[in-house]
Amino acid sequence: MRSQRLDFAEFYRRARDECLRTVLVSVGDYDAAQELVDEAFARACASWRKVSRHPAPAAWVVRTALNVNVSRWRRRRREVAVPDLGAVADLSTAHEAADSPVDPTIMAALLRLPARQRQVVALRLFLDLDTGRTAEVLGVAPSTVKAHLARALTALRDDLVPTQEQERSS
Amino acid sequence: MNDHDLITAVRDSFTDVHSGTPVEQIVRRSRAVRARRRVPALTAAVAVVAAAGLAVTWLLPGHSATVQPGIHLTAWTVVKHADGTVYVRINQLRDPGGLQRKLRADGVPASVVFGNPPNVQSEPCQWYHGNAAGLLPKVVPSIAPGPGHAILAIRPSALPAGAGVQIITMTNLSRIGVRLVSTSQGCTGS
Repeated sequence: MRSQRLDFAEFYRRARDECLRTVLVSVGDYDAAQELVDEAFARACASWRKVSRHPAPAAWVVRTALNVNVSRWRRRRREVAVPDLGAVADLSTAHEAADSPVDPTIMAALLRLPARQRQVVALRLFLDLDTGRTAEVLGVAPSTVKAHLARALTALRDDLVPTQEQERSS
Repeated sequence: MNDHDLITAVRDSFTDVHSGTPVEQIVRRSRAVRARRRVPALTAAVAVVAAAGLAVTWLLPGHSATVQPGIHLTAWTVVKHADGTVYVRINQLRDPGGLQRKLRADGVPASVVFGNPPNVQSEPCQWYHGNAAGLLPKVVPSIAPGPGHAILAIRPSALPAGAGVQIITMTNLSRIGVRLVSTSQGCTGS
């Protein structure tokens, strides 16, 4: 039992930042992401014997955090209007620039991506998952992952790279 | 900017994002997760045992055919864990007096009020006038109301002397409420 706890503690130490970054990109709110990741790690700890045998335990944590987010959203959707994604991005830029640990321009560009594209970007970039594992986590085909990633990178480039530089590089 | 540069720029912009939650807090929370799982499991086990008992009864030779078949879900289940936390699952708004007695026997000075009109209390309970706002989350760390059942966790050890718990729900388990009350013979039994 003690070695299991140490084993989990080591996994938590190694994976917590990557998982938080991945979920932050997916949900767009730091406090919400932190809470979801904490809950997902608590569930991983509660089922550590099973989760430790998973081929990618960090991916399990992220999938669980995203599932918790969906469940909470379903519970609240009758009471809380879902904000427009563009508005969220603008709000993020306007109000959180001063204390956000993330470059607000990049965060806003990420938040303007459709949710699925954002999830693919997050899993590929921060958890370093390959196409197959990303497809498994999201429950989609590998070809869908590739298409989402290509579209997301194009959109991010359009958003983040100044027009002149794009013209120069093309 | 090629894909690699773009990916690096995005990745680098998150290097200051760190999780500040200590592992001890996660481990503590995982215990609550395990406990949440145990309560439904216990209810399922009770149902299985009840079903098995019924099946055995029906198989006994010479058993009277007057036994009514069918399984009734228990109205509520109370489980006390080794750490002293008492978990309550309420499936139906029946037998508030029985639930009240069981909670008191498990060390929770409790009053239970179900239904509209509510079951009669021998004495109306008085609000507990200590630091109720800060205390309630410690005494009742989790409450999960739902349309089919409600689950509460109660920590009697967090109750100061003179304070008890009142569980109130009128007609709907999704609108269950808990408040801290002053203990008295008529309200919480002592």
